[in-house]
Amino acid sequence: MSVSLDIKYAARLLAKKPAFTALTVLIVAIGLGLTLYTYSLLNSLVFTPLTLNNDKPIYAVEAQYDYTHLSRRPADPFDLYKLKNELNLLEDLGVYQEGTTFVGGAGANTAIRKFNSTYVSWNIFEFAGVQPILGRGFSPEDHFEGAEPSVVLSYEVFQNYFRGDESVVGTMVPLDAEPNRIIGVMPEGFAFPAIAEIWQPLPQVSVAATERSYNGVFGFARLADGVTLSQLRTEMDAYSTELSTRLDEDMNWRINTDGKYLSAEPFKKAAITQYYSMFMAMFVVVFLILLLACINVGNLLLARVNQRFKEIAIRVAMGVPRKRLILQMLWESIFICSIGGLLALLLAAWGLEISNQVFDQTYAVDNLKPFWWHVQIEANGIFLLISAVVAMIFITGYIPAWRALSGDFNAVLRDGTRGAIGKKAAQASKVLVISEIFLSCVVLMMASILLSTSYSAGIADYGVETENRLTAQLQLPPVSFGIRRDTEFEHADRLKRSAFYYALKDELESQPNIQAVAMMTELPGRGEGTSYYEIEGREAPVYNENPYSNNEGVAKDSWRALGMRIIQGRDFDHRDIGEGVLSIIINESIAKEFFPDGDAIGQRVRRANPGNKGEWNTIMGVVSDTFHGSTMRSSSTSYNSYHIMDNWGLFRVNMAMHYTGLQVEAEKTLLQAVDKVNTDVGVYHIQSYDNLIKQPMMLVVAVSKVFLLCGIIAAFLAASGIYAVASNSISQRTQEIGVRRALGSSDAGIMRLFMLQASQQLAIGLTIGIGLSIWLVNFMSETMIINDLSYVLGMLGVPLLIIFMVLLATFIPTKKVVLMEPSEALHHD
Amino acid sequence: MITTSATSKSLVTLNNIKKVFFTDDVETHALNEINLSINKGEYLSITGPSGCGKSTLLSLLGLLDTSTAGTYQLAGHEASDLSRDERAKIRNKEIGFIFQAFNLISDLSVAENVELPLTYRSDITKSQRAEMVKDALEKVDMQHRANHFPSQLSGGQQQRVAVARAIAGNPSIILADEPTGNLDSKNAQVVMSLLDRLHDQGATICMVTHDPRSAARAGRTIEVFDGKIVSDQLTEKSQAVVL
Ligand SMILES: Nc1ncnc2c1ncn2[C@@H]1O[C@H](COP(=O)(O)OP(=O)(O)OP(=O)(O)O)[C@@H](O)[C@H]1O
Ligand SMILES: [Mg+2]
Repeated sequence: MSVSLDIKYAARLLAKKPAFTALTVLIVAIGLGLTLYTYSLLNSLVFTPLTLNNDKPIYAVEAQYDYTHLSRRPADPFDLYKLKNELNLLEDLGVYQEGTTFVGGAGANTAIRKFNSTYVSWNIFEFAGVQPILGRGFSPEDHFEGAEPSVVLSYEVFQNYFRGDESVVGTMVPLDAEPNRIIGVMPEGFAFPAIAEIWQPLPQVSVAATERSYNGVFGFARLADGVTLSQLRTEMDAYSTELSTRLDEDMNWRINTDGKYLSAEPFKKAAITQYYSMFMAMFVVVFLILLLACINVGNLLLARVNQRFKEIAIRVAMGVPRKRLILQMLWESIFICSIGGLLALLLAAWGLEISNQVFDQTYAVDNLKPFWWHVQIEANGIFLLISAVVAMIFITGYIPAWRALSGDFNAVLRDGTRGAIGKKAAQASKVLVISEIFLSCVVLMMASILLSTSYSAGIADYGVETENRLTAQLQLPPVSFGIRRDTEFEHADRLKRSAFYYALKDELESQPNIQAVAMMTELPGRGEGTSYYEIEGREAPVYNENPYSNNEGVAKDSWRALGMRIIQGRDFDHRDIGEGVLSIIINESIAKEFFPDGDAIGQRVRRANPGNKGEWNTIMGVVSDTFHGSTMRSSSTSYNSYHIMDNWGLFRVNMAMHYTGLQVEAEKTLLQAVDKVNTDVGVYHIQSYDNLIKQPMMLVVAVSKVFLLCGIIAAFLAASGIYAVASNSISQRTQEIGVRRALGSSDAGIMRLFMLQASQQLAIGLTIGIGLSIWLVNFMSETMIINDLSYVLGMLGVPLLIIFMVLLATFIPTKKVVLMEPSEALHHD
Repeated sequence: MITTSATSKSLVTLNNIKKVFFTDDVETHALNEINLSINKGEYLSITGPSGCGKSTLLSLLGLLDTSTAGTYQLAGHEASDLSRDERAKIRNKEIGFIFQAFNLISDLSVAENVELPLTYRSDITKSQRAEMVKDALEKVDMQHRANHFPSQLSGGQQQRVAVARAIAGNPSIILADEPTGNLDSKNAQVVMSLLDRLHDQGATICMVTHDPRSAARAGRTIEVFDGKIVSDQLTEKSQAVVL
C-alpha cells in the first residue's frame, strides 16, 4: 500500500502541473514515435530477412553494385551456377531478369497492357515454397530451345486483366505479339523476386550456361549448410581475383576497378542499395533524437527535483530508505514514459499508414513496389518500444534521482535554504549542457544535410519545360506494323511504324490547342542507362576511359515541344533517314567537355561497350542539356546523345505535347487523334509531365519529408532543451550569483563569467558534435551525392545556430538573476 | 547633507529609511522611519523579534537592496546616487558580509572562496592576494584547510572561512546576519570571539542576533520592533571600554 501511496503522490504531482506533464509526455512520444516508425520502416524494408516459407534467409547474388551509375548489375550465369554446383557454397539458386512485356492485342480480343515480367529459372516457385493455385509452374523443359513459350500469371493479372476467368489457363495469349501459353496462376500477393506480374522462362543459355557469355542474370540463393555470408563473400572475392588473372580482355569488364566482381547481400537490402546509407543515416539521426528527448525530459524532471529538494530532504530526514526514494522519483518517469510510449505507438502507426499510401502512390503507375514493401509495426517493434520505454524510464528517472541522493540534506535542513549545490552536481549539470549541445549539433547537421540534399534532388531542374505538357506512351500493335522477331529489321516495316508517329504528330499539331509534339524513346526525367562512346582519333585504350552518355531515339522536330533547343549545327531531317545513315546529336555538356573548341559538328563517335563496338556516327548538332533518370544519381545522366528514331522502327514510343487550355481537353484531343490515325494503336500512361518527372523522385521526396519532420523535431528539441538545461543550470546557481554580487562583483563581471563558461561548454560540445557529423557525412557520401550547398549549410549554419542558441539561453536567465537585488538572489530557492 | 546625529566619525548614516515589499497586492512595511548612524570602530548588535525587519535593515546597510524612501550615506557616498556597478565596488571594498547560511561557493576551495572578493579588485596583484588570503585564514585559524572544499568542512569551520572572506579585503564595516544562528554553542563561541578580536583590532561590526549573550558582547545594542528602532543603548561593556 506504500507503493499505491507513491503512485498517488506521483500522479498528483503530474496532475498539478498539466503543462509540464503534457510537454514531457509529448517529448517522449515524439522521440519514441519517431524511433518506432523508423525501426519498423527499416525492419520491413531491410532488417527482417526475406525467407519465404523457409528458415534460411534469401540472398541476392549478382555482380557488384555500380555506385557510379547507382544501379545493380547482373552477373554471368556461368559464374553464379559455379558457386552452387562446383564450389558448393549455395544450397539453392535461381536466376532472373526483370523487364516489361506487352500482353494482349495482336488479334486476341483483349486490350494491350504492359506488365512487369520477370524471366526466371524454372525452380523459382519451388525455391519460394509457393505453388500455383491454378495450372502448373515451370519445368526444366520450358527453358529448352523450341519449347512452347509459356507464361505464369500473378493472381492480380489473372483477376484484373483476365477477369478471374479460369478457362484462360492452357490458352494462348500474345506476349510482345508472340503467342505464349498460360500454364499457371500464382496465389494472391506473390510477386517474387520483387515486382513480378507475369513470369516467363529464361532461355536455356541463362540457366545452364556451359561457357562464359555476355548474358547477365541476377541470382537469389540460400546458403549451403555451414556456410556463412562472410564466408561466401570471401570465397567470391577469391573467385573474382582468380578470375581476373585469366579473363580475356573482352570479358574483364565483369570485374570492376577494385578487382571485385560477385556480391552477396541480404535480398531486401540489395533492392535498396542506393538508399541504404540514407536509411542508415536516418536511423542514426532518429536514435540521436531519442537520446536528445531523453536528456530533455531528464532535465525537466531534474529542474523539478531542484524545486522539491527541500521536501526530499525532509523525507530523508524522516527516514525514507534510499530505495524507496528512488522508486518514488521513478514513478513520475514511469507515468510520463508509459503514456508517451502509448502515444508513440499511435504516432508510429499513423506514420506507417501514411508511408504505405506514399509507396502505393509512388509506384502506382508501373507497379514497381517490391512485394515486401508493406510497412507495419511488428512484434519486434513492440519489443523495441517496450525496451526503449524502460530505458527511458531509467535515464529520465536516474538523472533526478541521482541529484536527489547526491545532495547535502543536512545543509538543506540546517540552513532552511536549498543548499549550495555540490561540486558533483555542478559538474553533472555541465555534462548535461555539453551533451545537449553535442547531440543537437549532430542531429541538426545530419537533418539539414539530408534534408537539403533530398530536397534539391526532388526539385531538380531536368532542363525541360513541364508546364502545360502532357505525356503518354504509344504502343503499336504488331499485327499491322510487322511482327517483331521476324520482320522488325525490314526497313519498310520500320518506316511504316515511324510514318504512324509522324502522322499522329502532324494530326495533333494541326489542332488549335496543341502547340508542338515530341516523340522520344524515353523523355527527359525518365530512363537512363549509359554506354561508353569513343571519339574518332581520340579512342581511349580501355573502353571505360571513354566518355559515356545516355542515348535516346527522337523524332524530327521534337525539341520545341520540350523547351529544348538546338545550340549548334542542325536538327535531324530527311537526310538522316535511311539504311546505313548514322547521324547523332549530342548535348551541350558533352560538347563543352569533349569539344571545348566548339568543333563538335562533323566529328565522329561510336559506341564502345566491351566486345561490342558500334558504327561511326557523325555529329550533326548540339542540343541543350536535359537530365535523364534521377538527379540523385551520378552526373553521367547529364551526358545525353540522340539518334533519329525513324531508323529504329520503334514499337513503343513516349510522347510529350505542349498544349494550351485545359489538360482534360488536351487528353481528349490526343485520344481522338490516335483514333483517327490508327484505331489499333494503344495509348497508355497519359499524365502531366510534372507527374512523370516526379515519379522517380517520389521516394526521395517522401524521405525528404521525413527528414524535414526530423529536422523540425530536432530543432524544437534542441532549442527547448538547450534553453532548459542552460537556464536550469543557471537557476541552480542563483544563490552563487547573489554571493558573488554581495562580495562586489559587477554585473558585467558576472555576465562575462557565465558567458565564458557557456563558451567553454560550447567549444567542447561543438568539437565532439562536428567531429561525429563529419564522420557520419563521410560515411554517407560514399553512396550518396551530397550537394555542396547543404554541406556548407550544415557545417557552418548549424554550429552558428547552436552558438547563438546557447549564448542566448545563457544570457537571458543570467541577466534575469543579475537584475534581482542581491538580497533576493541570496534567499532564492 | 550631514544630519544632526552624524558626527565626524560617522561611517554610516540612515535618514528616515523606509522599506516596503510589494507581493501580490500585499504591502509589507518591513522598515519604517529608520534613523541610525554608526561610527567607525563601533560594535553594534541589532536584536528584535522574528520578522521585525532586522535582515532587511542589514541588506540595506550592505547595499544588497534599495530602500523605498529615505537617504543613506556610507563612507561619504549617498547610496541612492550610486550606479549598480558603483554599489558593487563599495560592497567589495567597504563591506564584509557574514551570512547565517555561510554562503560559500561549493565548487571553489576554501582559499578560492576567501580570494573571491579580492579577485574583483583591480588594484591588488596576484601575490598580494595570496598574502591577504593567507593572513585572513590565519586570523580564523583555517589555513590548514585552505585546499578543502566547503562540503568537507563542519558548519563552524565554514563560518570561520566566511569570516575570513569577509575580512580579507579589510572592509570598513562587517555586516553579520545571525552569524551563529546555524552553529552549536561551542562553535558560536569561537565565531563570537573572532568578532571580538576583530573589533579589538579596530573593525566596525554590525551584527543581527537573537542571542542576548551575543548581543551583550557588542558595545551598542539596537532593538527593532515592527520595522522601527525602539531602543538604542550603549552596553556596560562599551562603557567599560570607554571608561
Ligand atoms: N523579499 C521579500 N518580499 C516580501 N516580503 C519580505 C521580503 N523580505 C522580507 N520580507 C518581509 O519583511 C519583513 C521583515 O523581514 P526580515 O527578513 O527583515 O525579518 P527579520 O527581522 O530578519 O526576521 P528573522 O529574525 O526571522 O530573520 C517580514 O515580514 C518579511 O516577511
Ligand atoms: Mg533575519
